[in-house]
Amino acid sequence: MALEHNAGLVQTLLSRRSRAPRRAPRGLRCSPPERRGLSRRHRCPEAACKGQPRAEVPLVALGAPAGASVVAGGPGGWLCCSCPGTMTTDEGTKPEGEVQAAALAERGEDITPARDRGVLKIIKRPGNDDESPMIGDKVYVHYKGKLANGKKFDSSRDRNEPFVFSLGKGQVIKAWDIGVATMKKGEVCYLLCKPEYAYGAAGSAPKIPSNATLFFEVELLDFKGEDLFEDGGIIRRIKRKGEGYSNPNEGATVEIHLEGFCGGTRFDCKDVKFVVGEGEDHDIPIGIDKALEKMQRGEHCVLYLGPRYGFGEAGKPKYGIQANAELVYEVTLKSFEKAKESWEMDTKEKLEQAAIVKEKGTMYFKEGKYLQAVIQYGKIVSWLEMEYGLSEKESKASDSFLLAAFLNLAMCYLKLREYTKAVECCDKALGLDQDNEKGLYRRGEARLLMNEFELAKCDFQKVLEVNPQNKAARSQISVCQKKTKEHNERDRRIYANMFTKFAERDAKEAASKTGVEKEAAKAACAQGLETAGAGGKEAEGHV
Amino acid sequence: MAVDELQAIIQRCQILEESDFRGEDFNLFQVAGQKCLEDGYAAQLLEVIQNEKNKVIIKNMGWNLISPLVRCILAYKQEDDKRDDKREHCLKILDQLVQLCNPKELFLGLLEQIEQTSGEKVCPTVMLLLQPLQTVLLKLQNKKAYSVGLSLAMIMNQLTPLPVPYTKQQIQEDKLGLCQCCNAVVDFAKPFVNEVVKNMEKSSEYNDMELKEELLKFCMKSLKYPLLTAQLEQLEGIEEQPFRHFATEIIVSVVKMNYIFLHHKGKRSYWENQEFEDIERKNSADSLACLSYLMFVQHFGINCFPMVFSPSYLLQCNMTHIEVLVVVFCLFASFFSHPQDLFENCLLRMEDNSLLHQYLEFRDFINVPQDLVKVMTLCPIEHLRKKSLNMLQLFIDKFDAEGKYTLFRCLLKTSNHAGVEGYIIQKIKDQIHLSLTKAHDNVWFTRHHLISLLDLVLFLPEGAETDLLQNSDRIMASLNLLRYLVIKDCESDNQTGVWTTLAKIEKNFLKPLHVGLNMSKAHYEAEIKNKRENRRVYSLTVSEEKMPAMTTEMQLQVLHSALFTFDLIESVLARVEELIEVKVKATGIKA
Repeated sequence: MALEHNAGLVQTLLSRRSRAPRRAPRGLRCSPPERRGLSRRHRCPEAACKGQPRAEVPLVALGAPAGASVVAGGPGGWLCCSCPGTMTTDEGTKPEGEVQAAALAERGEDITPARDRGVLKIIKRPGNDDESPMIGDKVYVHYKGKLANGKKFDSSRDRNEPFVFSLGKGQVIKAWDIGVATMKKGEVCYLLCKPEYAYGAAGSAPKIPSNATLFFEVELLDFKGEDLFEDGGIIRRIKRKGEGYSNPNEGATVEIHLEGFCGGTRFDCKDVKFVVGEGEDHDIPIGIDKALEKMQRGEHCVLYLGPRYGFGEAGKPKYGIQANAELVYEVTLKSFEKAKESWEMDTKEKLEQAAIVKEKGTMYFKEGKYLQAVIQYGKIVSWLEMEYGLSEKESKASDSFLLAAFLNLAMCYLKLREYTKAVECCDKALGLDQDNEKGLYRRGEARLLMNEFELAKCDFQKVLEVNPQNKAARSQISVCQKKTKEHNERDRRIYANMFTKFAERDAKEAASKTGVEKEAAKAACAQGLETAGAGGKEAEGHV
Repeated sequence: MAVDELQAIIQRCQILEESDFRGEDFNLFQVAGQKCLEDGYAAQLLEVIQNEKNKVIIKNMGWNLISPLVRCILAYKQEDDKRDDKREHCLKILDQLVQLCNPKELFLGLLEQIEQTSGEKVCPTVMLLLQPLQTVLLKLQNKKAYSVGLSLAMIMNQLTPLPVPYTKQQIQEDKLGLCQCCNAVVDFAKPFVNEVVKNMEKSSEYNDMELKEELLKFCMKSLKYPLLTAQLEQLEGIEEQPFRHFATEIIVSVVKMNYIFLHHKGKRSYWENQEFEDIERKNSADSLACLSYLMFVQHFGINCFPMVFSPSYLLQCNMTHIEVLVVVFCLFASFFSHPQDLFENCLLRMEDNSLLHQYLEFRDFINVPQDLVKVMTLCPIEHLRKKSLNMLQLFIDKFDAEGKYTLFRCLLKTSNHAGVEGYIIQKIKDQIHLSLTKAHDNVWFTRHHLISLLDLVLFLPEGAETDLLQNSDRIMASLNLLRYLVIKDCESDNQTGVWTTLAKIEKNFLKPLHVGLNMSKAHYEAEIKNKRENRRVYSLTVSEEKMPAMTTEMQLQVLHSALFTFDLIESVLARVEELIEVKVKATGIKA
């Protein structure tokens, strides 16, 4: 894979530049202090130069024809482009782009893992930070792209917005995944990319012709760990990239090594084999299950889990973990075997499996592991909801599994306080059996908790129609009525407050009109606030 | 007389203070003004309005005249030229009202007019009122963003029920004025877009977020209607294709306001308002699909699109859009091939065999080919069927060997169409041929992987009872594949593994096929005999339409062609068995 690159590659590049051992063995991984040492050594030879950015000209020196005298650095030597001492008089005779491209072709460093000179790089301005982005990180760059003829084909600055992408995921052309991974925060570099590392023979209509070599100027503005579910709940930083693109799916069997940390102390360290979605059986929090679905074989990463994806409110007494603790896990996915996709299973298999996962879901539910239970019940839905062409017997069995799954999912979502989802599940259950007592009751509960009292009341009334003996429903109806009343009163209070606020505003306006009345208005304001703050009883009187 | 009545009320109000106007004054003014217009005294009314002395009155009461005024102008339009100067007067009145009236009331008055029109009056009304509305909105101090959004939403809501012109002739004719109207609406929005852009340049603060959101909502809506189903190709003989012009303008606006849609799929905080976002996500799929089509296929606004994405990522992002388009276009029974075109555009960026099989784990990558199969087998429009087949072919070509393998498996299991299955089996044969002839062997189309694939191919779905006629495409392709395998692969090499699994093939495929052939032939022969003796006319209904009655001759012809198919199958079957026998004998191993 051309996308493959790792910490070792970065090291190789650094060591080449620094005239230290010409080529560090690939795959050699240094600890951070070593890395820092390397980069300190390759500071600009001109003592006065601080590596400040100098906008347009700097690289020209490097593009000087072979005969011209270049002040610092011999062949293979490392030059700081922003240093005035390295400038020659040749600048300006050629178009900028051409000169830069020529410089890259001549002096650029080959950063491809295959060493085929497919991507050449020169640093224009070194970074101010020693850290490079990791694979999967969200990186922010500004860039300018030109064709070999110097024609600009794209620039993020024209759009006035940094360009954001996930590094090392094949989202961008290969040259970029390789190139940006070598950069430091704040660095500006030039990249010369052969078509094999860009858009190849096909080109990219309408701007990039076939077999085009591309030139880029890239500035790495920032980067941060990957937010796996866009909710800040799981942040991943990949230490070693896995192979290929394949991920374990829900139900896959995985073999992993994990180490769990909480507040700096390690509470868990083990090699373990389990089914994704059932990590709880091995005291592994749900966040790991979720993250595994985004990992590849051989991947080694650090996961920062928020409480929701960790052990949640219950904590984990076994490990001495408090409620709502944030966790850090280091995980290596050693191997996995995927569960069959739905389209690969025939009806018989789906029905057999449905019975098994239903059991499992119920087990989790009883233990209060609702997220895990959702996964199990969800499987039944994904297998059977869209299954067509069933025999009568199969169809009956399928419907009964689906009904149970939806009802149980609704219960789980109630417990997880995801009421909209609970209502959705009830709707589906009632689609299968419109008089289902549990379905109606649970929808009523969900709606009650969503403050939809009237709808909730309807549901509970329907429960009573189906089963007049249902005492719980009867009491829920009175709860509904009570809540409706409370709610109305609260509304009234809010509106009452609003009127006070209006009064306040009017008072203010009046005050600003006549300076004399200012003091009085202030008093009125204060008074208004008090009444608003005093809340209920007084305000109610207004209405 | 109407004019006198008007003069009377005006004179009464002239001496009053603004705050002393009463409800009945408003009523009298409206009634008198309306009467003037109806009786054709527009010139006199104009005079009254232009009178400097009446400024305050018009400022407060003028907006009441909007409704009768609009009615008059539209009525004059439909009549002859003689009324031209009257219409001219009315337009001047409208102009004066826009200058003089209180913007807040005038705004509501104008909007009300747009809300109340329907049918063929929608476009003329909107066209008439856009300019005044724009002027008023630019004057509004408070709640401008909200008002702009409300106006645009109202206009689009009124336009949406109108049919979108489809053919070149319809577009040229533009009977309802939709083409013209759409472009006028974009012009209407332009100053507001420019305002947002200008503010964005000034500072990066989100000071104008609200207006920006309203305008983007309008753009998104336009992409869904009318652009999604509109003709967007360049048309010969129409210099400026109206929908292309409209599309360009919309996309320019979208891009100017920095909305990069493709990449920010999962981004959360795009809309300031959370509620917005949820509604938007549900409704925007169509709009985004259209935007993607316009950018990639028609190259609108592509200049502003980042040119560093990898082709496979572009394909991945567009797969969702393609899926949406297929569904929408089937629903509309559209003649256009937008989904296929977008798919082709993405696929042509890729090199053959370069797409990793892991992409099939994305649901869209499995769904789109299945959708294409549905179009191929169910769509009544021939060029769409053909194009879909071409795209399926192209899609298969782009995958690596494992990807092709998985795709074949999936399509064999899901297509439910003997023709498609026959086609896939033929593709499998091509792949086996490649793996056998190329130097490096390919694990996916030899040995155990292949055998498991052959299990899906070399069998009869319902054993001997399978309907051979219905399945003839599939059966012929399977037999051809088997024949190829036994000829190409020596038993001693057994590269494909076919010789190991021969017993299974005989049991699941060849034997039941024999039995089935005998049964079917006997059945059809009996039927022919029956027909000849007992001539009757059958009628047949296809989807509630009665087909012309088949004569016995025609029926016999059908039955004979069935028999011919069986003969064909039988001869290939015989050939395959002969080949197997020869090879097995030669090595002396019994299969």
